[in-house]
This record gives sequence, C-alpha cells and structure tokens, in this order.
Amino acid sequence: MRSNLGRLLRQSTPITSSRWLRLSSRFYVALLLLLTYLPVIIVVAYSFNEGRYGVWRGFTTQWYTRLLTNRSIRANLMNSLKVAFASCGIAIVIGTAGAVGMTRSHFWGKDLLENLAIAPLMLPEIILGMAYLTLFTAMKVTFGMGTLIIAHSTFCIPYIYLNVQSRLAGMDPNLVEAARDLGASPGRAFRDITLPLITPSIFSGAILAFAMSMDDVVISFFVKGVTSDTLPIRIYSLSKVGITPEVYALCALMLVVIIMAIALFYTIRKITQRRTFHA
Amino acid sequence: MSRKSKLLGRPSFYLSPALWPLIISVALFIVLPIIYIVNLSFLQRGATWGVTDVHTLEAYRKLADPTYFAIFANSLRIATLTTLACLVLGYPFAYTTASLPPGRRQLVLLLLLAPFWLNSLIRLNGWILFLRYDGVLNNLLLKLGVIREPLRLLHNQGAILLGMVYGLISFMILAIYNSVEKLDRSLLEAARDLGASPLRAFLTVTLPLTLPGIIAGSILVFVPSIGLFFISDLLGGGKDMLLGNLIATQLLSARNWPFGAVLSVVMLLITVLLIRLYRVFSGGKSIGEML
Amino acid sequence: MRKPVALFLIALLLLTACSSPTPATSPPTSPPTAAPTNPPTEPPSPPASKELIIFTWAEYINPDVIAAFEAETGITVNFSFFDRNEEMLTKLDAAGGVGYDLVLASDYIIAEAAAAGLVQELDYSLIPNAQDIEPAFLGQFYDPEDTYTIPFAAGTPLIIYDPAKVNIPVTGYASLWDPSLANSVVVFDDARLMVGFTMMMLGGSLNSTDPELIKAAEEKLYELKGNILALDYDTAHEKMISGEALAALMFTSGITRSLEERPDLEIVYPEEGMGFGIDCFFLPSGAANTANAHLFLNFILRGDMAAELSNYAGYINCVATAKDYLPQEVLENKALYIPAEILGNAEFMENIDLAATELIDDAWTRFKQR
Repeated sequence: MRSNLGRLLRQSTPITSSRWLRLSSRFYVALLLLLTYLPVIIVVAYSFNEGRYGVWRGFTTQWYTRLLTNRSIRANLMNSLKVAFASCGIAIVIGTAGAVGMTRSHFWGKDLLENLAIAPLMLPEIILGMAYLTLFTAMKVTFGMGTLIIAHSTFCIPYIYLNVQSRLAGMDPNLVEAARDLGASPGRAFRDITLPLITPSIFSGAILAFAMSMDDVVISFFVKGVTSDTLPIRIYSLSKVGITPEVYALCALMLVVIIMAIALFYTIRKITQRRTFHA
Repeated sequence: MSRKSKLLGRPSFYLSPALWPLIISVALFIVLPIIYIVNLSFLQRGATWGVTDVHTLEAYRKLADPTYFAIFANSLRIATLTTLACLVLGYPFAYTTASLPPGRRQLVLLLLLAPFWLNSLIRLNGWILFLRYDGVLNNLLLKLGVIREPLRLLHNQGAILLGMVYGLISFMILAIYNSVEKLDRSLLEAARDLGASPLRAFLTVTLPLTLPGIIAGSILVFVPSIGLFFISDLLGGGKDMLLGNLIATQLLSARNWPFGAVLSVVMLLITVLLIRLYRVFSGGKSIGEML
Repeated sequence: MRKPVALFLIALLLLTACSSPTPATSPPTSPPTAAPTNPPTEPPSPPASKELIIFTWAEYINPDVIAAFEAETGITVNFSFFDRNEEMLTKLDAAGGVGYDLVLASDYIIAEAAAAGLVQELDYSLIPNAQDIEPAFLGQFYDPEDTYTIPFAAGTPLIIYDPAKVNIPVTGYASLWDPSLANSVVVFDDARLMVGFTMMMLGGSLNSTDPELIKAAEEKLYELKGNILALDYDTAHEKMISGEALAALMFTSGITRSLEERPDLEIVYPEEGMGFGIDCFFLPSGAANTANAHLFLNFILRGDMAAELSNYAGYINCVATAKDYLPQEVLENKALYIPAEILGNAEFMENIDLAATELIDDAWTRFKQR
C-alpha cells in the first residue's frame, strides 16, 4: 500500500508543479524548519553566556560544570523521563485499543465517548489540575510518580487515539475481514494485519504525547508528590529569580540527545532497509 | 462506519471489549473532573480561600459584565488570527512535505516535532533573547546599519501572535499533512488532463478534498490558543487579558475559584460548539477520523 | 479479552497505591519516613531521620549553604518547588499539611495557612540563633507573637529608572504617570499591589477597602495605560537591563539584579509610601522531621550563612549578625539597606475582606482589558 502511494506520488510530481514551484516550496519547508530551530539555537548560544540576565558578557562553560554537579536538577530530569515513558506506554495501550475498539463498536453515545476522550486537549490545564488534586485526595491516593503517570496518561491518550483512529478510518476494512475469513483469530488478524498498518500512527502520536508530557507543568504541579518534581516544574518555579543559563545548558544537552536519537533511528532504519533489499 | 457494519450483519449495539480501558479512564479521569468543575462553578467562594458548600449562581452573574464580553472577543480575535496564520503558513508546508519521498517525509515531520521535546518556556525565552531590545536581531540590524535605534519587537500583539503560531502550527501541519497524504492524486491528474490550470485544479480538487484536514487542524489550533496564557504574559508584556489569563488569574491571584470554573465551563461550551460545527461541515464525521 | 483489560486497570490503580512504601491507609503525601502523625508539635522522633524536605521557589536558597548544612549535620535536604504562593497553599491544604518539613513562602499566604491550621509552633529552645533576628522583621501581622515563622528575606517594591533617558524628577508613583514616559514603564501584573499603590497616591493605604477610593484608583490607572510597556511580576529587571523600559516598579531582587548589570540606574523610595513583604519559613502542621527543620532554621540564622543566603537571593537580610559578613557594596545598596524611618512607614499587603478584594480584582481586569 505504501509503495503504491509512493509510486503515485512520484508520478504526480511533474504535474503538480513546475520545477520552480517545486524548488521554492522545498525551500519554504527548509526555511520554516529553520525558524522552528531559531529560538533553540539562540538558547544553546546563550548557554555559553557569562552573564545571567540575557546580556552577552563573554564565553563560559561554567553553566555546564554547574549543571553536572547539580544532583537535584538531574533528578528532576529523570522524573520527567520516567513519567513521560510510562504515561506514553499506558497511553499507547489504552489509546490504540480504544481506537480499534471504537471502529468495531457502535452504540449510543459513541461520539460522546470520543469527544470526552479527546477533551483533555481542550480543557484549561489549571482547572484539570485542581480537579485531579481534589479527586486524588478524595480517593486517598498517595501523590507521587503514580498520580503523575495517571494524569499524564489521560492527556497523552488523545494524541495516540486521534492518530490511530485516522489511520484506521483510511484503512480497508476488507483486509481484516479477509484474514478472518481465511481462519485467522481476531487476535491474529489484529497482530498480522491491523497492527503493522497502524504502527506509524502510534509512533507519530507517541512523539507528540511524549513532548506534551515532557512539557507539562500545571497539571503536574497539582498531582506531584513531595519529591517527584519534574523538570518543567523546576523551570517554572524559577519565577522568582528568572531562568538561569544553567537551564539553557540543560536544554542544549537535551537537544544533543534528541539529535543523536534521530540520527540513530535513521541509521538503524537504513541498515535494516538495506538488509531487506538484499534479502 | 456504521453503515458498513450493518451491511456485514452486525447487531446495532456492539461494544468491543478493547474499548473498556478507554471507557474507564474517561469515566474516572475526565468525566469526574468535568463534574467537579461544573459543581465548583455553582459554589460560593470562601472568605479568603477556597469555596464554601453553599450553592449559588453568583459566579454566573458576573458574566453579565461587558468587560468579560470584551475579553472573550479579544481572545477569539487572537485565536482566529493565530488559526489563519497557522493555516496560511502550514498548508504549503504540509502539502510539500506530503509530496516528498516517504523517507524524507518522516524526517521532515520528525525535525518539525523534535524541538517540542524541549521545554516550551525555554523555547519562548529563546524568542525573547532573539527579539528583545538589546537582543540578537536588534544588535545584528544595528551592526549592519539598517537601523539606528533598536526596534521594539516585543510586548505587543504581534509578538503574542508569533508565540502562538510557533507553539501551535505543528498541529495544523499534522492535520493537513494527514489529509493530503490520503488524497487520491489520480483525481488531480484527471483534472489537469482535462485542461485545468494548476491553480484551478488546486481550488476545485485539492482544497475541497483536504478541507476536513484544514478544519480539524483549525480546531486543534483555535481551542488551545484561547487557553494558552503564558505566551501573552511573556511575549506580549502581560498587557492583553485573554480567556486563559483570566482563568489563571481567577484561580490563582484573585482566588475566585467558582468564577474560574464558570469561565472554564464557558470555554468547554465553546469547544463543544466548535466540534458540533465541525461535524455539520464535514458531513457527520467525527474529528478523530480526520486527523 | 475482558479479563486482561480489567486486570490491567486494577494494576494501573494499584500502581498508584504502591508507588510509596507507606501503607495505603496512610494520609496522602506522607513521606516514606513518616509515622502516621498527629499534627501539632510532635516531639523529635527517636530514630533520628536524616532527611529534610523544603517546599519553596527554585534557585531561591543558596545551594552552597545547603551543602554546608548537609556536610555539618549529615542530613540530606530535598527540595520540592512551587511557582506561586497560591499553588503552595492549594497543595498544602489538600495534603492536610503533611509531606513537607519546612515551607518558605510569603507573608500574606502564611497568614492564610495559619488561619487554616496548617502551621505548627516553633520550639525556640532549638533555635538559639533566633535572638539575632532584626526586630524590624518580627511581630508582623501574619504572626504577631512570632510563634511559627522565621523571616528569611524581606523586600520593598521600589521605583528604578534610567537617569540618562528620563528627564523628569522621579519622586514617587505619580512620576510614572508623566506623559514623557509613554510606552516605557513596567509595573507589576498584580491587582492588589497596583490598585494599592494608586490608592496610596490618592491618599489612601495599600489595604484601603473603600469602594469610592478603589473606583478613583481605577480611573487613575486608566491614565497610566499609555505609559505601560509591560505588566510583569517576575522578570521586569530584564526589561530594565535591556534598556527598553525607562522606569519600573520592582521587588528588591529585581532591583539588585538590575543594578548588578546596570549600575547607572537610579532607585527611588516612593514618596507616597512603600509596600513591604517578608518571606518566612514555617513548619507545616504535619511536618515529620521537626528536629531537622529546627536544626536547619538555627543553621541559616548564623551570621555567615545568612549573609550568603541574602547575597544569593538579592533580598534584604533579616539577621543582625550577618552585617559582619556582608560586602561593603551590599551595605551601601539603597535597595537593601533602607533608612529605618522610611522602612518603618512601609506597609504590608494584608488580606482584606472579600467584597473589596473582588472590587479590586475586577477593577484590574477592566484596566487590563482597556
């Protein structure tokens, strides 16, 4: 199916645009991507700034050395990563199952359920945070990583759900029917037919969900435990003194990790692709 | 979907077991909080802190003040501008990206989303460092002799718009990208074969077919842009009161929780209305199917 | 299919319950070391715990002082951060005062916490250094008998301006209204403070509740709108440092930061009267490691430590013995050492009645919307 699409795309290119249009539109994509990175590049540059308040005072690496000796900021980062991975994992299971289940089910209130499931995208965070605080207190749940993970899962689910749902909506239902007719169990049909088709959507949903989890401060504040501060909570609570270049340095290091992850992802894919071609 | 299922002879009521985790999590962590919010909006605020158990419509009465109407109008205006800007800037991006070879496509999307793994406050601070009075851009322009006095680029609505578009454009791009990717390009070829100019082919074939993506993206940009509050504080100099700011202020500084809840209920209603509208325009499709 | 799903959900819920080693029946947010507690003034528990949990803003307490305390006592200090006083109280209220050993927050919110029964009495026999606290910072409205707070830092909102570009004499709040300052002034994004200062200007007080006066202040504020470059509670100093703002109202830490980068700036004690605020430590009612908390309080009241703390935070030092350790330029800093006769007249922002609060908040909303 994908290769078909690819062929179609290649065929369509001479028609959609003149050479000039194609080049300029690609240039535009590159330009917009560059703009996306502009503030990030500036932050990286200022992580080497001697001055604390955004005025350039000369080059230094002191913020990086300070960062390395700061154990609590590392703990905050670890908490954020743990919460993001765990809640993305839970959201993948619930969101994917929900999207698959939704296409197979029909009942009164189906739309309502769907709208409610994606409601966290639409609700003001503060009020949701306060509601969780009240809810968990009433349920006598201990605040900590567990409550953080539950709350984050709730707002991660919509990203997975929406992505998978859209892929399923575009999928030919006959594929699954055919597999079932050929004697595959529902589980087997899901594993062999549906899952491979929706995996890219799960992946792209997870990228967004992960980003949202790593960035959430308002909801996290209300559901965090005593020693489970996440990185965004720390950054936002710098309000009294302003953001320190130390945080910029951390941001720069995280960027390096992200770039490495993307590079690694592509290298692995290239290698595996070459193998399949040879096979 | 339901029509197909009926053809296949399934009963008119069928609840897939795979749906249970979603149903339970929605019931516990979305429906309960919404009930809490609605209930809170009917309570009376406490003398200095929290709320009392008395039920009242007091908080709703406050809505009659024309100031709040002006704030709604201002929020909706900025949200509309943000959505339009995201659409105009995002559509060509999404369309071009969807026409790239598959490997490239994924790379572009990954590159687009990667910065979002970094803290948004820090990224906004990057813009501040770039735009501020003694910032990178002003210094550059001064050195080049383009300007003699630094430009005041921050603390205005343009800066708010920049921040909003920067933070939300990826939702628009993803939604449009998904609809362009699904586009049957043979239709476009057919139009061109029949002698339509590229512009005409775009207007009569591509645009209508990607409309669901446009609308879905618009909702995903519009709704959060009503609620985002720190962008207007950081880039706009806090001079603009938007609905999001108002809610945050009521809950934290003014400590008027019931009124904050009322405003949240209003925001919820706006959202529901938008989703309803979407269904009307997209011929009864749910928003999820279009993303 | 049905069963695994149900099991998964149960597992999910259990995950929360088990996320802490304490039994599930314990009160929310109790730390692992806490025995199920009876709140007020619990005597130091015999198996001395080596932990101390402090709830405050990030980067406010000098990490060198924390390191020194940890080295001297062997106690590990853990931090939990908040962004606003109100968030702290919401959180502490929901937890019933349990979970944190020390909270560092602002005066008015401590009054709220005390009214809600979320604080506990200090044991002064464990804090001998408390005798060195400057009397000016004691006996305040939030704790008239000094039973549960130790002042950490004090500040006064002052006016700062750029004498090279401001051509009028700046004497008080009224100067900010001058037409020559169009689009160049930064003031607090805070209803109580701004309406309060305007009421001071009009002859009232920071805590006036007279509806007529509030109305008059609102009208007066409308005239300021054209001069406003930005409303900023926390980072006004950046706008002053960059040179975009010509005059600003700032808290002490913002003033010290501005002067650090721009020694050419001038500060003014507003002639109409000044606001005043103190951030204090208190022990929440459910604090578990009370002995460690007292040890810490005594430690930070040592002159050398107090000096390091106030240098880092950029606020007014509250400890008399710290003077010996403070550098000359700090002692000469007009923002940090304010003549007693001026400081004596400074006014706290106190909690006022609900009706007036609402009038002020609504006035501010209308001002911002204009």
